[in-house]
Amino acid sequence: MARSLYSTAFALGGFLAGAAALFAFNLDAAEGGQAKLSSIWTVSVSPVLPVLAALLGMDTWSDERRSGRIELLLSSPIREKDFVLGKFFGVWVMTMFGVAVFLFASLGFLKAYAPQLIGETALLGFLPGFVALVMQGALWSAVSIVASALFSNAAAAATATTVLLVALPRGLWFALSSWGPQGRTSFGEMPIDAHAFDFASGLVSTGTVLAYVIFTGAMLFVASKAVAVLRCGSRGASTLRFTTKLSSFLAVVFAVLASALAYRLDLTLDLPVGGTGDTRFSARTRSVLSEARGAVSITAFLERSDPRFRQLGHFLRALKREADEVSGIRIDLRYVDPTLDIGEAQRLVRAGVGKDSLVFERNGRIADAVRLADGYSERLIASIIERVALPFQRSCVYWTSGHGEASFADYGAEGMSDIARDLSLDGYGNRTIDLASDAAIADDCALIVVAGARTDFSSVELDRVRAYLEGRGSKNEGGRLLVLLNSADTGGIPTLLSEWGIRPVAASLGQTRTISGTDVIITDFTLDHAVTRPFEGQQVVLEKPIAFVPSAAAGDVGSGADLKRFHGLLHAGGACLAAGVDRGETGADLAIRPTRIIAVGDVGFVMNGKLRAYANANRDFFLNAVKYLSGRDALTESGTEADRLVSGMDRETRARFVVAFSIVFPGGFFLLLVAAIAKRRRRQ
Amino acid sequence: MLEVRNIAFAYRANRVLRDVSFVVSPGETVCVVGDNGAGKTTLLRILATIMLPDAGSVRVDGHDALKTPLRFRRELGYLQENPSLYEDMTVKSYLNYRARLKGEPEKRIRRRIGEASETCRITDIMQKQIRSLSFGLKKRVALADAILLRPRVILLDDVLAGLDRTMREAAGEIVSSVAAFSSVIVTGHELTDLARWSTRFLVLDQGRIVATVPSAGLDVATVVGRLDAALKGGQH
Repeated sequence: MARSLYSTAFALGGFLAGAAALFAFNLDAAEGGQAKLSSIWTVSVSPVLPVLAALLGMDTWSDERRSGRIELLLSSPIREKDFVLGKFFGVWVMTMFGVAVFLFASLGFLKAYAPQLIGETALLGFLPGFVALVMQGALWSAVSIVASALFSNAAAAATATTVLLVALPRGLWFALSSWGPQGRTSFGEMPIDAHAFDFASGLVSTGTVLAYVIFTGAMLFVASKAVAVLRCGSRGASTLRFTTKLSSFLAVVFAVLASALAYRLDLTLDLPVGGTGDTRFSARTRSVLSEARGAVSITAFLERSDPRFRQLGHFLRALKREADEVSGIRIDLRYVDPTLDIGEAQRLVRAGVGKDSLVFERNGRIADAVRLADGYSERLIASIIERVALPFQRSCVYWTSGHGEASFADYGAEGMSDIARDLSLDGYGNRTIDLASDAAIADDCALIVVAGARTDFSSVELDRVRAYLEGRGSKNEGGRLLVLLNSADTGGIPTLLSEWGIRPVAASLGQTRTISGTDVIITDFTLDHAVTRPFEGQQVVLEKPIAFVPSAAAGDVGSGADLKRFHGLLHAGGACLAAGVDRGETGADLAIRPTRIIAVGDVGFVMNGKLRAYANANRDFFLNAVKYLSGRDALTESGTEADRLVSGMDRETRARFVVAFSIVFPGGFFLLLVAAIAKRRRRQ
Repeated sequence: MLEVRNIAFAYRANRVLRDVSFVVSPGETVCVVGDNGAGKTTLLRILATIMLPDAGSVRVDGHDALKTPLRFRRELGYLQENPSLYEDMTVKSYLNYRARLKGEPEKRIRRRIGEASETCRITDIMQKQIRSLSFGLKKRVALADAILLRPRVILLDDVLAGLDRTMREAAGEIVSSVAAFSSVIVTGHELTDLARWSTRFLVLDQGRIVATVPSAGLDVATVVGRLDAALKGGQH
């Protein structure tokens, strides 16, 4: 028994270490994504849980057999099923104890190392995921009891259980996925992980619940038969042994058939337990939903058996709820299964919509369709609703060229194609403008972007920009300019900026936070400005930035419509690393404050390579700047605010978190248990 | 009353028990003796329902071991040849656990443990960890477990094995005291000791009962002489 207590301590310590390492890894991988913290937590525990159950259950029967105590149990007035249930509950409760310890430890460590991550996640939010783990823990415990009854060697029992529950299903799934990549969509996610993930997000399938209950019952039945067969040692009991094994086999077959039936009659519930049933939407999506009027119909055109159906339905229902809450656009949801709703499917196909699509209809006409294979996201859906439902205001972003600027058509690491695609989703067109040769700046120009000019602008080009900003010779009453600077004195643009109140200078930074040593992490967004207002708790990262100070042209210079006001947008180390200027009367609206300029002291912060490598608010800062400049202030957003997972940990903090959470804590917990066991033994 | 009828048992081709039948009345202490491999332990395991026989039946006061196994086991106390106890438990907690496992009502457990511990003379070691006890004391603890609920049938497998003279005498006194309310079946090789407190001997040879030797009222030497003769006769 002492050995059993020590092995229990070892199992719990190992489980905590494994789950913590996986959680830290998954948290890192999900950084900046839209996964929920509770889901990540659940899918981190789920793969390690079978190992814990295997280690806890390995000697429940094998130890009794090895020591001979099995004879005392078999001669006691108790049924085999009662023995088995007793052992099962012991393993199950201990397994859940491990999970509960890990839950509270996770909350504690996140509170210490990533408080912003845990801030909005209530303990109740983890409940659905915990329930999924309780369910899985029961099944894994039952399987480990069966293995322990079948093997007289505890290690063999643990190995068999681990192989059966971890290696075999995952190996099969990976093999199927590898050999038939075209069928990956049909296989969906690894079922065991998918169950945990679904529950954690409040998506409860009655079929899954019943399957777990049925298989747990079947495994307990098999375990009781495995114990009963221990009495059948004689030659004459061979028939009894055979019938016992046959009944165990039939129990498994029954479990498979009953589970298949349960899935056939599946009822998927979308439970808003602890708020996790609701998808949290970004400020921008809420703005779109509240400002749009009328109705839009969204049709999910795919088979109900498609693995994406549940998650998509969950998302769309949450979107509809959100629209209802903000009293904006009315969203009608429809589901068309190409194999069942033949008539409706034909209508869509005739209209040129392929299956596995999301179809947006306005006033009975198909306005847009998205292929699910290309992926869908909240940003995309909101953009489509914006395009479909808001008044037409498509305008273009003109990117200057001819001076070594980064190009929106460049898909390389130093290109701007990713951010340009985001602009397209938001309804902007992307155009190139050559100020030296193009005849005029087009009327649809929402703003001009100078993305890191490396050579000087000619005086003619600068004059054209000046004229554009002042609104001369154009239907616009003033121009909008976004400058991403490479250096403080290259390109002639710095001179232009100084004329408008922004003077670039070499940055002299005090103490700043950094990831690589050369970059600067900006977390101070105290200035109340439309561009940075939603960024509290987020971070923008600039590489070797240039600083800005107000020039003589800014401040209280001018009056009335000519008043130029300087706004520092990003601050770090005592320097202003992004600044804006607008011209117009204080308190006046956009119509009479026509000129807006924003300058950022780094061109690379929204290049493809940086956007793909880091999860931060860089993308949102750029898009907000564009929206602010183009007059769509209300639609500035922070995807990181609500729908993205950002731990806020820099490299050093993350390393400390991993060491403390996955090494120090489990090791300490293990030693604590060992000390408690040793103390108890000494006392006796 | 324990009734054993035509018990037969075989491990593959090895027939261990053949047509074994006997009856043990309450108050009787029956010793099953025989050479190693005669089938003594197998017989007790079958009586304890740890193994199922190929043929035959076992009843206690009309309760069949196969048809009503729970009722049957409720009337049963069993001591293994080499007691396997939970070594990390104290004697008291072990007996408490066993009483609960056997379904004794909570209010009676303390009294049962008190009686059994007094009978087996282990009251002074109740708080000790089983791991720290000698083999003889462990055997007494196991004996206390076997008689804990005053079962109608007590099965003691090689109860005197490994015990010194003092312990053997003590064990004999314990068995004699519990025989007052139970049918006791004992196996062993210590004929002289067993003859002092048994009422009858069953001589087992190659799975058969080859002789029944009454011992009640006879002196030990006479009984041992008859047993020796029976055992030698059985070998031939």
